[in-house]
Amino acid sequence: MTTIELDRPARRSAASLTFIVGLILVGLHVAIALLTLVWTPYDPSSTAGGRLEAPSLLHWAGTDRLGRDLFTQIMIGSRIALQVGIGAVGIGAAIGVTIGVLAAFATRLLDDALAAAFDILIAFPTLLLAMLVVAASDTASLWSAILALGIALSAIVGRLTRILAKRVLQMDFITAARTSGTSWPRIVVIHILPNIWPTLMVNFALQFGLAAIAEASLSYLGLGAPPPNASWGRLLQEAQGTVYTAPFGAIAPGLALLVLVIGINLFADGLRDVGDPTRRRSR
Amino acid sequence: MSLLAVNNLAIATGGHDLVADLSFAIEPGQRLGLIGESGSGKSLTAMAISGLLPPAIVPRGSVTLDGVEVIGAPERKLNKLRGAASAVVFQEPLTALDPLMKLGRQLAEPLRRRFRREGRDLAGIEAETIALLERVSLPQPQRIANAYPYEVSGGQRQRVAIAMALACRPKLLIADEPTTALDVTTQAEILALLDSLVRDLGMALLFISHDLPVVSTIVDQVLVLRQGRMVETGPVKSVLGTPTQQYTQSLVAAARAFDTALGAR
Repeated sequence: MTTIELDRPARRSAASLTFIVGLILVGLHVAIALLTLVWTPYDPSSTAGGRLEAPSLLHWAGTDRLGRDLFTQIMIGSRIALQVGIGAVGIGAAIGVTIGVLAAFATRLLDDALAAAFDILIAFPTLLLAMLVVAASDTASLWSAILALGIALSAIVGRLTRILAKRVLQMDFITAARTSGTSWPRIVVIHILPNIWPTLMVNFALQFGLAAIAEASLSYLGLGAPPPNASWGRLLQEAQGTVYTAPFGAIAPGLALLVLVIGINLFADGLRDVGDPTRRRSR
Repeated sequence: MSLLAVNNLAIATGGHDLVADLSFAIEPGQRLGLIGESGSGKSLTAMAISGLLPPAIVPRGSVTLDGVEVIGAPERKLNKLRGAASAVVFQEPLTALDPLMKLGRQLAEPLRRRFRREGRDLAGIEAETIALLERVSLPQPQRIANAYPYEVSGGQRQRVAIAMALACRPKLLIADEPTTALDVTTQAEILALLDSLVRDLGMALLFISHDLPVVSTIVDQVLVLRQGRMVETGPVKSVLGTPTQQYTQSLVAAARAFDTALGAR
């Protein structure tokens, strides 16, 4: 049994290490995104050097085929990725948690209908959904991408919320709260939401990473932010034609996306421990 | 008028009667023990009194609690009754408390409702929370109020659960096997606590248990249930001392045999 005793502290510090690394990687992106609001190394939309230059001290990620600084564009891409992540997860969480909790309380028939609706929406290809939203809103914009991703995420969040809320509803402390006259809305606020929150938070963080990747795919296909916006997906798409002569144009935005998603996943992993008081205290 | 009047209560699911022809009454301040083996319908009866049966389980007959007919009453009316007229202490204190909420905050919930009901200043809740924790003989009430359920012992959790029921200041306290999940020493302490609280606060008590020695120490009247039907009822001394029904006799004999076996060791 001593092995278990010895193993535990090591595992815990590993868990907090992933959390810190995740926090640093995500924090880096957030800092860069905020920085672009006030300062960028070069003007993102004007020529700053020769065309398709390799990375140098002047241009850390080289230049694109119009001679614009790529690092500047990647910095702005960071802002767009975070904007999409926050927007899409925000919309997905607001719709998903609300409908999920309602489904958990609904009559059998309505509950089954909502559960089926979630499953259908999850099975529906996100790209097709994005095209529908773009078609409905006339032009492809950052907001149409955020809305499409938000709707797609709301089904995943809704399904998870419904199951989690149902599980909490069956617990004894809910019956106990009801025997003392706690109203249903109050039970949702003080018992159900806090009890499903830790799991939801981890899920939101993971969905954030998926939304960043999905936005890159949408932009790559021309369904995301239109040209002056330097989304990573659009940078990848522009670099596609010159990938053999100037590979760094494709590697740099890909690397930025990779770092963000890895950071978010590590962060989500660590969040699980932070959200649970039983784990937090035992540390 | 009785505080609780149960008349011809039947509880059914899928056309099958789980409880049938059950009638009893509890006067203000009276203590009734509901005895029976597992599955005899004790807890179902308690839930029917609170109007908290699952949707698939349907009650018939009449349950009048504090002058209000519970069966068929709308949720809003029932919710007003719960807490004010009755409160429940459950068997397993770990699951009956929200694991993610500090004990002090959980206790403040029913308190807040009572303060509102009585039109009192909500600022006094914190002091009342500590006072209640002291009332159920918890040491260091300040520390307990700041602890999560898993951080205190089983006996302490049950004391907090009792404090939560008391916070409602109910006219009828329903205790559903409140000592079953506890060890024998803690059991005796919790029983003594319940006994003094019910006496001091003038509450009526419906004590549900399968444990005859436990029941006999705390109630005046008992009702023996078997497969959802009443077998025998009356004062503790006569029912458990000189049982007339065969089932009660076998229960008493079993309890006695168990005691003798323990004593012989």
